[in-house]
Amino acid sequence: MSRPASSRVASSRLIGPAVSILAVAVGLAVSFAIIAFNGDPPGEAAEALFDGAFGSKKQAAATVARSLPLILVALGWIVAFSARRINVGLEGQMIVGGITGTCAALYLPGIPAPLHLLVALLVGIVGGAIYAGIAAGLWAWRGVNEIVSTLLMNFIALQLLSWVVRGPMKAPGVRSNRSAIIPDSAQWPNLIEKSPLNIDVFMVVGLVATVAWMLRHTTFGMRLRLTGANVEAARAAGVRTLSISMMALMVSGGLAGLAGAGLVLGGETEVMSEGFASSFGLEGIVVALLALNAPYAAIPAALLLASLRQGGGLMEARLGVPAELTLVTQGVVLLFVTGSAAVVRRARSIRIDVDGGEHEPAVEPREEVVT
Amino acid sequence: MADTDDQRSGLGSGVPTGAPEPDPAPDAAPLLRLSGITKTFPGVVANRDVSIELHAGEILGLLGENGAGKSTLMNIVTGLVRPDAGAIELNGQQVHLRNTQDARQLGIGMVHQHFMLVPTMTVAENVALGMQARRPPMSDVPRIADELRDVSARYGLLVDPYATVDSLSVGARQRAEILRLLHHRAKVLIFDEPTSVLTPQEWVHLSEVFRDLAAEGRGIIFITHKLDELLGIADRCTVMRDGEVVGTIPAAGADRQTLATMMVGREVVFRVERPPVKAGDVALEVRGVSLETQDRRLLTDISFDVHEGEILGIVGVDGNGQSELVQVLTGLVSADDGEIVFHGDERRVVTPRAFIDLGGAVIPEDRHGRGVATELDLRDNLMMADFATSEYSYHGVLRAAVINSRCDRLISQYDIRAPGWHIRVDQLSGGNQQKTVLAREMDRQPSVLIAAQPTRGLDVGAVEFVYQQINEHKRNGGATLLISTELEEAFTLADRIGVMFRGQLLRILDADEATVSEVGLLMAGEETAA
Repeated sequence: MSRPASSRVASSRLIGPAVSILAVAVGLAVSFAIIAFNGDPPGEAAEALFDGAFGSKKQAAATVARSLPLILVALGWIVAFSARRINVGLEGQMIVGGITGTCAALYLPGIPAPLHLLVALLVGIVGGAIYAGIAAGLWAWRGVNEIVSTLLMNFIALQLLSWVVRGPMKAPGVRSNRSAIIPDSAQWPNLIEKSPLNIDVFMVVGLVATVAWMLRHTTFGMRLRLTGANVEAARAAGVRTLSISMMALMVSGGLAGLAGAGLVLGGETEVMSEGFASSFGLEGIVVALLALNAPYAAIPAALLLASLRQGGGLMEARLGVPAELTLVTQGVVLLFVTGSAAVVRRARSIRIDVDGGEHEPAVEPREEVVT
Repeated sequence: MADTDDQRSGLGSGVPTGAPEPDPAPDAAPLLRLSGITKTFPGVVANRDVSIELHAGEILGLLGENGAGKSTLMNIVTGLVRPDAGAIELNGQQVHLRNTQDARQLGIGMVHQHFMLVPTMTVAENVALGMQARRPPMSDVPRIADELRDVSARYGLLVDPYATVDSLSVGARQRAEILRLLHHRAKVLIFDEPTSVLTPQEWVHLSEVFRDLAAEGRGIIFITHKLDELLGIADRCTVMRDGEVVGTIPAAGADRQTLATMMVGREVVFRVERPPVKAGDVALEVRGVSLETQDRRLLTDISFDVHEGEILGIVGVDGNGQSELVQVLTGLVSADDGEIVFHGDERRVVTPRAFIDLGGAVIPEDRHGRGVATELDLRDNLMMADFATSEYSYHGVLRAAVINSRCDRLISQYDIRAPGWHIRVDQLSGGNQQKTVLAREMDRQPSVLIAAQPTRGLDVGAVEFVYQQINEHKRNGGATLLISTELEEAFTLADRIGVMFRGQLLRILDADEATVSEVGLLMAGEETAA
């Protein structure tokens, strides 16, 4: 019964990336069609979009800097999702990580420079992890769906941030709602002078490699993948799936927390303000979906979304095309990628049907187990 | 009997040639004719120029190993898949099936191996679900229920139309499925492995229903692996292999050796020699295990021993507590009461990890549920249970080289037909998936093997392999608990046979002295059944 399966594996491996690239192409095409429909020259819009993102060294640096938190959030999603936990609370965990990291930066004075930054980042990670841990615990011990709890905890985090920048953490003597200025000892050093790009770019790339390696080459990664692929089989094989799933969510939250802390500690404003995490959390999920949950693919996906955002500003300035149009691009890309998942699965189930006659293409009725 | 008339006229509706006659003349157009059906999926020919005829009043057996193309063919007949080439004729008229709705309206129906009923709804509601509603859905339920009662009385298919499906026994669910087809006025009825969930006695009853249905001029396609059953009831048998029809022979005069050879393409050994018992110490001791949920007792006071070098078979109709027993034994579920002792060891099986550490191995009944993780590759599946041991990992980092060479060895040792360990398991056939499970579980030299339905859904060749492995384990002095719904399997392998009924272990018999009918009666609950 050996069939030429390897060629089909190769082609099925290519379906995913092809779909992502096609999704981006269609997303861009739709956006430029709208621009043309509005009577603006699409060619010039494209030029403006590109110039805004990569036109100068400074702009390119800003685009790369903008992609870093997206990559971290995407990694967070990927880790949770490898155990099939859906963490839509990355935004909230980012915010909490930002707040706790800022606290460490502001209220733990006297630590020498590189250490202070490390401590603040670590506290940010822990903050995000604990915040995600609440949802993980509710899921494991109380059966609360983690999608609902993490989503709702985003709002709590937003309110918390809103409160701390107005109340306990508000910088004295200033009118705007923001924290005091982060001491230099806790700030990311610039990589390129007078640009938002810091040396954390190396850390982020390193983390991408680490997560990719962890998932494939460690026992923890194996446990995550087993739990995600078939929780019952994993349990029968002796994996403690409940704690693995909780850990997946907490690592995920920790990565988001790091992203949040990094935004404050590496931001150009050098303060924590109310909008510091705006939309990074959700956009990071889009990055992960576009990357089809592959850690390395998150880098180009994040760069793409960051450049759309970054370039959208110049497009608006030059042509008066609203920068929000880039959200249309994002939306179409998202729809395409998520929609195509079903198509890819369908293609797969047909193959299954051929391979083994007794497979069921759909979900098999599974006996409820008394636990 | 107005409804009966309705039923009869319904049989003919939509068919140009009118109501089918019982015992048609040989030259009459067949009820269903498939000619030259070809279906290609990317890279694979699932069906190549398949032609099959089913006459009214006929029971046609369809045989073939997994992957032979039976499923694809039946998916084509029921409108799920469209063929690339070939024609489907009903009563001599060519039809085009665009979807399952078309097939159903033309009177083609199928009882799937995994029943397609909504468990939380009543039987009548399930039947109503499949109808094209012109009025608000479910407003027809009382009428349907009445009709179902008539049909069910007529064929002796006793099911309460108002019972919710999850309260029904497996056999009753199957009857409900058949009722649904009859209510939809199916003329061509396809049964995919209908006997795997039945006691021998239930099968006798079902086979009578088959004959009644055929006598009315319906045609039945009966897919099975069990050659004996097929020979007992079918008029003709069609055998498929590698997407093609190998041949169609009359059942009268055929024997199982011929059919099996046609299926597999080589001679098959049916008699598996049962190695003599060299019973050693007690390896697995189960004392008074009970399990219950809020409203149901699942296991009641189960006690037995399995010795080294012995196979204890536990038979019973599906759903009498066997699954729960396996879950308790393997540490997935903790029993409310009782003890499970391995080799007199102090430690108890409280988690699946403890089960493995104490020398246990399990072939789970639901391969896709617990056996393999289909979306992972073969290597992950082979390593699932012992990747964390110091042999295969070092401080949490997997030793890729050791793991890869072990996987290469297992693939050749257990004859897993795969191009390599990087292949995803859902691209393997059922037999190779089961070999993957066997390789993983047997390679760590377990002292106690729990084999639950180890050959379910496997083809003849793979069954042979599984039996050899289990007997090999026995020869090496391992203890085996075999849990099976198939009596033949239990009699082939087991040294002693216990029967489970409603969560109780009724009796343990010596396999050499027990008879099939004796065990069959116990499976039906013997005294309670009457």
